[in-house]
Amino acid sequence: MTEVVVIDAWLGGLAIGLYGVAQLLLTGKQLGVSSGYGSICALGSRADYFRSGSHAVRNDWRLYFLLGIPLGGLLAALTSEGPIVASLSLGPLYDRVFPQALWAKAALLFAGGTAMGYGSRLAGGCTSGHVITGVALLNWPSMVAGGCFFLGGIAAVQLLFRALG
Amino acid sequence: MRWVFVPLGMLFGFLLSRAGATTYDYYAKLFLFEDFQLLWVILTAAAVGMVGIALVARLRTRALLGGGIDLRKKPYTRSLIVGSLIFGIGWGLAGACPGTALAMLGEGKLGAAFSIAGLLCGTYLFGRRAGAQPTDISRVDR
Repeated sequence: MTEVVVIDAWLGGLAIGLYGVAQLLLTGKQLGVSSGYGSICALGSRADYFRSGSHAVRNDWRLYFLLGIPLGGLLAALTSEGPIVASLSLGPLYDRVFPQALWAKAALLFAGGTAMGYGSRLAGGCTSGHVITGVALLNWPSMVAGGCFFLGGIAAVQLLFRALG
Repeated sequence: MRWVFVPLGMLFGFLLSRAGATTYDYYAKLFLFEDFQLLWVILTAAAVGMVGIALVARLRTRALLGGGIDLRKKPYTRSLIVGSLIFGIGWGLAGACPGTALAMLGEGKLGAAFSIAGLLCGTYLFGRRAGAQPTDISRVDR
C-alpha cells in the first residue's frame, strides 16, 4: 500500500478550511462532494431526480471536481517518499477484521459505499457539505447531521472490531 | 468555468491526503477513540471556514470567476437523521468518505473502487425512488 505523508491535524484542517473558503470566493460554489455522484448518475439515468434541482444542468461543475480529486491523490502519492503501490490492502487495522476473500471484502466495501451514497442523499450532504461547509455556515441541521454521521461510524466500527477483532 | 474544478478538485484531493483522510487506519482509530487526527482536521476546517465564510459574506462581492456566491444553508428534513446515521455506518465500514474514496483511488488504494461503485449504486437507487427535486437545488434560502 502507498504510504503517504500525513501532516499535523491542525495544519491539515487549516488548509482544508482555507480551501473551502477560497473555492467559495473564487467560484461561488460551496464545497461538497456527494451530490457529484448524482451528477455521474445523471449521465446515464433518465430518472426525474437526475434531471432536476442540482442536476438540472448537465455536465455541471461537480463532474469536473470529482475528476480532479483522484489526480490530487495521485499527486500526494507522487510527492511522498515511498513508491506508489497499487494494493487492495485496507491498512493494518481494517485488514485484521475484514474478510481475506476478495469477493467478501469487495462486498463489504460496496455495502459501505452504498450506505454512504443512499444516506448522503437522504441527509442532503456528506462530510464535506454538511460537516465542513454546513458547520462553517453555523447551520444547525448540518450539525445534527454531523453528529449522526459520527454515531453511525462509531456503531459500525465498534461492532466490526468487537464482533470480528 | 467548469474546467477550473479539475485543478481545484486536485488541490482538495491532495489536501485530504496530507491531512490523513485517505489513510484507512485513521477512520478505525477515530471510531475506536484511539486517535482523533480526523476529528481535529474536521473541527479545524469547520472553524477556519466559519471565520472565512463570515468574511466572504461581509464582502458582499460576486464570485471572482463570476456569478453569485452561494451562502444557502441545507434545510432540516424528516429524513436527515436517518440518512445521516446510514451514511455514518457506511463511513465506518468503508473507512472512507465520498471525497476521500476518490483520492484513495488516485493513491493506488484499490479497495476504494468498490466503495465508489457502492456510492454510485446508493445514489442511483435513491434517485430512482425519489421524485423530481425542487427547482432550487433542494435547499432553502435563508
